[in-house]
Amino acid sequence: MLAATPQNMELNRLAELQSKFFVGNPSPQGSLRLLTSRISAKRETLTSGPSLYLIVLTLQCDHTCRYCQVSRSLESANHSIDQTTLALACDSIFESPSKSITVEFQGGDPLLRFDLLKFAIERISERNVVEKRQLRFVVASTLHQLNEEICDFFRQHQVYLSTSIDGPKELHNKNRPLLTRDSYERTVNGIRMARDLISQDAVSALMTTTLDSLAIPEAIIDEYVHLGFREIFLRQLSAYGFASRNSTSLSYSLNEFSDFYERAFNHILQLNRQGIDFREIMASIFLNKILSPFDAGFVDLQSPTGAGLAALTYNYDGFVYPSDEARMLAEMGDTSFRLGKIGEKLNVLRSSEVQHHLVRASINHLIPGCDQCAYNSYCGPDPISAKNQLGDTFAPVHLTEHCKRNMWLFDFLFAKLGQQEDWFLNLAYHWANPSPARECCSA
Amino acid sequence: MRRLSVTFQGTPLPTVHRVILLSALTDEWEPTLNFLVKLESLSEAEHLEKLISIGHLVNISACVSNSLDWHAAAIPTVSCDTTLLELNDVVRLNAKKHELIVLYRNSDMHHAIQLTNRCNSYCLMCSQPPTSHDDQWLVEEAIQVALHINDAPAAIGLSGGEPLLLGAKLRKVIDAFTLRLPMTRVDVLTNGRLLSYTTVAAELLTDLGEQVNWMVPLYGHADFLHDFVVQSPGAFEQTIGGLLTLQSYAQPVQLRIVLIEPTLRVLPELCRFIGRNLPFVWEVALMGCEPIGFALANRTTCEVDLKDWHRELVDATNALRRAHVPLVFMNAPLCSLPNSLWQYAQQSISDWKRVFAEECSTCSMKVSCSGLFAWHNNGWPPTKIKAIEEEVCA
Repeated sequence: MLAATPQNMELNRLAELQSKFFVGNPSPQGSLRLLTSRISAKRETLTSGPSLYLIVLTLQCDHTCRYCQVSRSLESANHSIDQTTLALACDSIFESPSKSITVEFQGGDPLLRFDLLKFAIERISERNVVEKRQLRFVVASTLHQLNEEICDFFRQHQVYLSTSIDGPKELHNKNRPLLTRDSYERTVNGIRMARDLISQDAVSALMTTTLDSLAIPEAIIDEYVHLGFREIFLRQLSAYGFASRNSTSLSYSLNEFSDFYERAFNHILQLNRQGIDFREIMASIFLNKILSPFDAGFVDLQSPTGAGLAALTYNYDGFVYPSDEARMLAEMGDTSFRLGKIGEKLNVLRSSEVQHHLVRASINHLIPGCDQCAYNSYCGPDPISAKNQLGDTFAPVHLTEHCKRNMWLFDFLFAKLGQQEDWFLNLAYHWANPSPARECCSA
Repeated sequence: MRRLSVTFQGTPLPTVHRVILLSALTDEWEPTLNFLVKLESLSEAEHLEKLISIGHLVNISACVSNSLDWHAAAIPTVSCDTTLLELNDVVRLNAKKHELIVLYRNSDMHHAIQLTNRCNSYCLMCSQPPTSHDDQWLVEEAIQVALHINDAPAAIGLSGGEPLLLGAKLRKVIDAFTLRLPMTRVDVLTNGRLLSYTTVAAELLTDLGEQVNWMVPLYGHADFLHDFVVQSPGAFEQTIGGLLTLQSYAQPVQLRIVLIEPTLRVLPELCRFIGRNLPFVWEVALMGCEPIGFALANRTTCEVDLKDWHRELVDATNALRRAHVPLVFMNAPLCSLPNSLWQYAQQSISDWKRVFAEECSTCSMKVSCSGLFAWHNNGWPPTKIKAIEEEVCA
């Protein structure tokens, strides 16, 4: 009936289906323009040029985390970017046509090379006096090396900090071992110092779910509330780096993770019911995809993939990678995702064979499985993780962790939305709007 | 519009005038404007006579109260009840009909200038049914009003009929207002249909600043719903095209929904449509129906008691709030709305159109209420009017 004789449908239903573009009318000039403009608004992240630049300054880190992908000890040489290459990286950022750009410094721990960090931020800021882009700097760090001088510099250049807190002290210190066994205390001190000396909203935090986290979702959330955070990103352990090597002692099934996530999610809902404004980032990203006419700018879940198109990673090794994950794979020996050398023109990187391949492997209307998926307008395949997990960017999508996890979360959120509970719908739409702290930041 | 019956002596110019006091004449006089000088005594009259004869001034008429016994044929004179006129009123004199029409009064809360009576839609509830005769003189009159306004209002509405039927002349009118009154927001009330044509749009919108605000009605989320209300096939597609054109020219848009039976029935779904597809509009106005014009003829579809539709109103406002689209209620007295929506109610009815019912005299919320259209007695009130007893902070 939908295809052949829509006019026989009950009028209210026909109107609703027309208004959602399932059914057309004989002369839809206006409606077609509307549909086009909606699609292009949702694709802005991909079409407006790279807006997220990751710069990996060094792999040095004072931690020896069990799940860490890449980091190297403090003494290790040759794991930092050289200044000439860094200068090239800084300059090439402005090749992007995007009006707003986030530059995120990654490690290792970039604060261990504050000299390089300072050099890069100053160089980019100086150039931006003329370029006038909306710039945002983010530094991902344990904050252990934070001091007054660094805070002062960050305040002047409006730098945001992204740190890791895995949960309560015992869990955090177990996941993130230091010889002194005080990683938690040192990071919390860093958070306090940043809030005092930079600004109240200077720090956001990420958590990584490990086997030990699974039993205590409520305690992890409460820890975040206690530390004054208003959001949490409940991240599944990624299968990269040391995490895959230590997988037997660290890993868990999707079912275990989803049980953990649901408990955490319900606990967060309960907090919100009590009037505490607290959001879960992964759900916010998905709800943005589902409920908002605007794209929050998250580079995952795009089709074609945002890797390389919306985000670029400049690695300490002198090469440009399409994503953080791709440089981690390179660390494990698979350098097949290198787009080119730092300093090569953006159009050269974008027309590289690797980039073409990534695009071909992530257009969900052409990928078997994705093409039939009800969620395909909110989602996109991740060829880089497919390669890591199954050895092939074109591996059957339904076998990838990426698809299984997303499918589960879409099901979970649609079930919640489907209950049409007024209070939850209000919250869901609230979360669907990008929170100012993380507008165009990746995970 | 306020109309005063007047008597003329001599031949005052049958055009637009600014009402001023004699004492202000030397300061305000400009050769391209016309002035109606309000005289309060015979000595003032003699003084004015002198000024006119010395300066050979032709752009001045006098205005005297019916009680002032004065016959000076040398000055064209209008006699009327001058207490009904305010200084800086912009008026038109109509000798044939012996009337003076107040086109603009600064002390009014709302200002509107009618640009045409013609329209390409034929809405079920049209408060001002269109006519087809040539009324292009209204365009020149509107430009004259722009020139004669002395004290810039915060906002002025340009309405019709359908202003877009003026084509490029509409831009001339808009430019007259924006140039003369750079601090005034110009609200154009239009169905937006002709803006779906790129040539019309380019003529009107190219290099138009941010001073204009477009107020466009939308009555359904599917073509057949909207087209029925505006009684014009194809209107929905054109209006949607027009809205996207306005967006592409970065023009601010207010969407307007008149609350009659066919729109109330689909209101929640319509508002969800707006939230999903037209999130760039800066406001949605939900408007009580004005019981006049076609609304009277189509009474069965237009007469509603808003109290019967509270569920739809709440659902619709929830949909807009969730999409972060601001909303207001207009022409809806507080007693017609659920308490939770009072915060969105605006005192929207123009002063000269607004009355209160007997029941309102004891209402505790009267001071913040829109009141009723003066002509609701010939039609219907938007609900059964009821005094609100306790003051509730909205």
